[in-house]
Amino acid sequence: MHTLFYIWRNLKRNKLRSALTILSVGFSLALMTVLNGYTAMQDAWGAESEKYHRIVVLNIQGFSGMLPIAYVDRVRGTEGIRAATPYAWYGGNYKDEQMPFAQFGCDPKAAFGVWDEFSIDPKQLEEWQKTRNGCVVDRRLADKRGWKIGERIPLKGTFYQFDLDLVLCGVWDSPKNTDSLWFNWLYLDEGLREKNAQGTGNAGTIFAQVTSSDATAKVCQTLDERFASSDNPTRTQTESAFFQMFADMAGNVRAYIFYIGLAVVFSLTLVAATSMAVSMRERTSEIAVLKAIGFSRRRVLVTILGEASSITFLGGCLGVALGCSFLELAHRAASQIVPLSVSEMLGPWLAYLLASAAGIGLVSGIVPAVRAAQLSVIDGLRRVV
Amino acid sequence: MSEAHLDNGEPVVAVHDVCKEFYRDAITIPVLSGINLELKRGDYLALMGPSGSGKSTLLNLVAGLDRPTSGTVTVCGQSLESTSESKLARWRSRHIGFIFQLYNLIPVLTAFENVELPLTLTSLSRRERREHVEAALQVVGLSDRSHHYPRQLSGGQEQRVSIARAIATDPTLIVADEPTGDLDAKSAGEILDLMERLNREFHKTIIMVTHDPDAAVRAKQIVHLQKGVLVEKTHAGQE
Ligand SMILES: Nc1ncnc2c1ncn2[C@@H]1O[C@H](COP(=O)(O)OP(=O)(O)OP(=O)(O)O)[C@@H](O)[C@H]1O
Ligand SMILES: [Mg+2]
Repeated sequence: MHTLFYIWRNLKRNKLRSALTILSVGFSLALMTVLNGYTAMQDAWGAESEKYHRIVVLNIQGFSGMLPIAYVDRVRGTEGIRAATPYAWYGGNYKDEQMPFAQFGCDPKAAFGVWDEFSIDPKQLEEWQKTRNGCVVDRRLADKRGWKIGERIPLKGTFYQFDLDLVLCGVWDSPKNTDSLWFNWLYLDEGLREKNAQGTGNAGTIFAQVTSSDATAKVCQTLDERFASSDNPTRTQTESAFFQMFADMAGNVRAYIFYIGLAVVFSLTLVAATSMAVSMRERTSEIAVLKAIGFSRRRVLVTILGEASSITFLGGCLGVALGCSFLELAHRAASQIVPLSVSEMLGPWLAYLLASAAGIGLVSGIVPAVRAAQLSVIDGLRRVV
Repeated sequence: MSEAHLDNGEPVVAVHDVCKEFYRDAITIPVLSGINLELKRGDYLALMGPSGSGKSTLLNLVAGLDRPTSGTVTVCGQSLESTSESKLARWRSRHIGFIFQLYNLIPVLTAFENVELPLTLTSLSRRERREHVEAALQVVGLSDRSHHYPRQLSGGQEQRVSIARAIATDPTLIVADEPTGDLDAKSAGEILDLMERLNREFHKTIIMVTHDPDAAVRAKQIVHLQKGVLVEKTHAGQE
């Protein structure tokens, strides 16, 4: 029989067992796909931002620390800096929705200089610069929400004790969906001052564009040295390192993922091997008969190995498909957390997952296959009689 | 029947001074000692003897599934005692048809596919295989059951499928270890009729192990194995 045909029949022999094995491999690989996809996405995102040679200034204590607004001008005055803007995360609620998209207070005169790959109609930009409570948003966000120019966008403060009553002045186009809204940092700061609320004069973070990527490291060092002896020392890093820091905030995510993956692969191999071994034991006499009528060791080996690896490979493909669909859905639902679509980051990580699915199959099939191949015909037949 | 040299009266099976011992946990179990046996083409031998006397062991030696401790076994012109395992496997697929007590069909394959199984080891084309399978199923009278799975067949029918599998490759020698051991008298009778037909009509050389004297008398000759020695040779009154 064509070996494949026989393998297929054997897969259908115990449908429940095959299905359970396929599902267990599938779900675990779905988990791995999501984790690996997420790290791959961070890498892709980091690599993407690398080419714009932007840097991010942060209080050395991180987001909780103060970054005086006066620093913005001092950053601008530093050699090698082309443009700089405060970039304060607002985190407000929109109507009944809790932080449905990202909102940042920045300098309307500088923001599009720092993100010079973003494009906006000059008239809209001018309008924003003139309107104290004006804002601009990513075109994809505006389209999703159906916002038109002039739209009122009220945001309720969660972290700041001042609510924003914004008017949409313009939309920008950017290479990737940022799912963000920008407003004038001064509007927030003045509001806070009027209410005598906390958090005034804080730039949050400063994003700046460096004249050339060669200068990046030196500029970061210069800035940190300059502020080192002040009340608010800083930590300056490249934008990609900054995003990396986000990704690593829950500890060393990458290492966790690696070890989780390893554990999953290992336990799956055991599960699949057990299932295969049980299946083989039930078939001892059948294998003996195959060998009696002249099947060679190699043929037996290939048949069993093929069966084991096709089960896990099927499961693996199912899992990768599940994981990718999850990532894609997550991207559509929350693109600030999952900034890339799966189609934008097809790459070695996917191949790696499929290869490990096949690998699990091969390894789990080896022991039963070798044992079957070496089974002595007379012993195999005696066990039945 | 394709082997020309066998027509020269050369024996199909020649067993000379064969001894067989098993070794288990440093204990030697002597099973066969000084066995001599010769079968010509078209012979039909019934091998009888008490349980544990070594019938299956002898059958396995002749079928090339095991090797003797000493002595020589020559079957269809091939000395089996020194042939490598992979070579033996290929040799078996060409020369030996197996019939087991428990039929041992592959449960996930239909009757047709079970019979086709040994043919997939040959170089026959798909169409030639189909012709062979159909012919074999015709001989055992199960053409109408070719798409049934073993679990959809009775014990007697399963054994007939396994006979079809044994003859599909047109082997010289058919070995059957208690082929009727698990069947009722009626089915057993059908199986014995079939075996007789294979011997008479198709000139197959057959060795059949059996406990049943009624089955044994259907063969052309009967030998008894006792404590590892062939003690008695009777000619059954068939011819
Ligand atoms: N692989 C083996 N290892 C150890 N001992 C074996 C092995 N095969 C057979 N024997 C021993 O050889 C003896 C003969 O076994 P065999 O199966 O040939 O008997 P048998 O005549 O076919 O019996 P039965 O009628 O019950 O089938 C027994 O004592 C058995 O225990
Ligand atoms: Mg026996």
